[in-house]
Amino acid sequence: MPLALETIRLVKRFGGLLAANDVSLAVEHGEIRGLIGPNGAGKTTLVNLVTGVHPPDMGDVKLGGQSLRGCAMHEIARLGLVRSFQVTRLFGNMTVSENLMTSFFARRNRATGDGTKQIGNMLELTRLGPLADTQAKKLSGGQRALLQMACGFMVPGSCYVLDEPFAGINPVIKDAIIDMIVDVNRRHGATFLVVSHEMAIVRRLCRQVTVMMEGRVAAQGTLDEVARLPEVIAGYLGKALE
Amino acid sequence: MSASFAFPPSFRRSVITIVVTAAVFAFAPLVAGSFALHVLTISFYFVILAASWNLLAGYTGQFSLAHHAFAAIGAYTSGLLGYHYGVPAWIGIPSGVVMAALFGVILGRLVLRMRAIYLAIATWAFAETVHIYLTADYQFTRGELGLSVKPLYGSVDPLPYYFTFLALTVLVLIGLRALIDSPIGYFMRAIKDDELRAKSLGIDTTRVKIAVFSISSAIAGLAGAFYGHFIVLLSPQMIDFSEMAKIVIMVVIGGFGTFLGPVIGAAPVQMVMTYLQKYGEWNLAIFALIVIVLMRFSMEGLASLFTPLWRNLWARHDA
Repeated sequence: MPLALETIRLVKRFGGLLAANDVSLAVEHGEIRGLIGPNGAGKTTLVNLVTGVHPPDMGDVKLGGQSLRGCAMHEIARLGLVRSFQVTRLFGNMTVSENLMTSFFARRNRATGDGTKQIGNMLELTRLGPLADTQAKKLSGGQRALLQMACGFMVPGSCYVLDEPFAGINPVIKDAIIDMIVDVNRRHGATFLVVSHEMAIVRRLCRQVTVMMEGRVAAQGTLDEVARLPEVIAGYLGKALE
Repeated sequence: MSASFAFPPSFRRSVITIVVTAAVFAFAPLVAGSFALHVLTISFYFVILAASWNLLAGYTGQFSLAHHAFAAIGAYTSGLLGYHYGVPAWIGIPSGVVMAALFGVILGRLVLRMRAIYLAIATWAFAETVHIYLTADYQFTRGELGLSVKPLYGSVDPLPYYFTFLALTVLVLIGLRALIDSPIGYFMRAIKDDELRAKSLGIDTTRVKIAVFSISSAIAGLAGAFYGHFIVLLSPQMIDFSEMAKIVIMVVIGGFGTFLGPVIGAAPVQMVMTYLQKYGEWNLAIFALIVIVLMRFSMEGLASLFTPLWRNLWARHDA
């Protein structure tokens, strides 16, 4: 069986900055992989390369064995690779329901069934029901993050790339997001690549983590293994993880 | 995109409201005189232009300043076919629509990556080009002399034209409402809010933007083609910038990006402008001032006054 998500020697340069330096990563089907690293290590750049926001200077990305070279962003999404943004992006002037519906229409296919029913499920799961007709720009930060996540789950994807889904969110909503990830992972066998600074959550969700530093993959293993590596400790300015 | 799709209940309500309102207007000839009917007919023409421009600018965020040019392309296509080749209106009008749609696809593709003011300038330049062509190639277009067009009906009595434009307005508004309530409508609003996110969800934003550009251009071409056979004398005046300004004024006063806005904004503006014509360009300046104030304080214009009314009207159905 091919890997769910694979990056092969990705290189991306922004002017003088080497943001991705020979990044190779392999994520198995059904895995929840953590991606950690200090600020500026190239995590978001990697997410943008994988999802087609930037084309890589060199290297390739494969989704379920299929090369994504030359694919536009929307084509990658329709192949089942779903992302969330670090700074939550929603359609601010549209209501909560309309945001969910737009995500549904964008990736629906013959098998996705009824959008209205799926909206009902998501509103229940996220407890955003009372806000269904509220414009997204009027939601709180946590509600926005929750809605962005729910949009990604309107049509089940095969692979999710989540960029800091837990940043700046209260613990209750954090738990709700974790539950959604675990649920989609178990029920649909979806693969996850989760960028996060929250080590407690990474430990809970991810058997394997990849550490990035200065645009490279610095280490890979369980969180406890990588946390002991001198290079990783040095990268986090001598501060032991957690 | 083959999955099933059902219109929301609001669609049926909108259709009912449009049809009922049109039925009321069908009685207008009983009380209105010839000149008033003429003014109302032109108002319907502008309702169609304003509503289709609002689809492009208000819903999708492509602030084009070439909409009046597409109306002229529709009008001149049918007019020139008739004038030079004796082509009847029933072929000329569809040809005008196709021509406007084609130019819409081309211009839509050219301005695809432009944002806000750049798109406005590029589309304005396109409109000016059409304007200059129609003036300069006077041997073919008759330029400032004016191109005479055969009336759609035997006479120039306003009554049949009034009903033609009323019916056309109803059809266009129902069509636009259907489009806005369909998946493409969601995609349009998504693109206006955040194009990067729309792409990341799997929306082919290029296709949607070009489709909307050509649809709104085709509608402008349709209105223009009928308009030509109604006023029977076309001149490049039709692509004067003041015509575009009028469309923008109508939409902003009515409510930018709202469905109701252009519908309730067009007629009052057209009427007031008609009766203030003796003051010349000054009435445009006054309206421009109103637009600046409205854009500063409330983009939802007159339509925002109707929103609570609309909710109350259907509230008991939802309970």
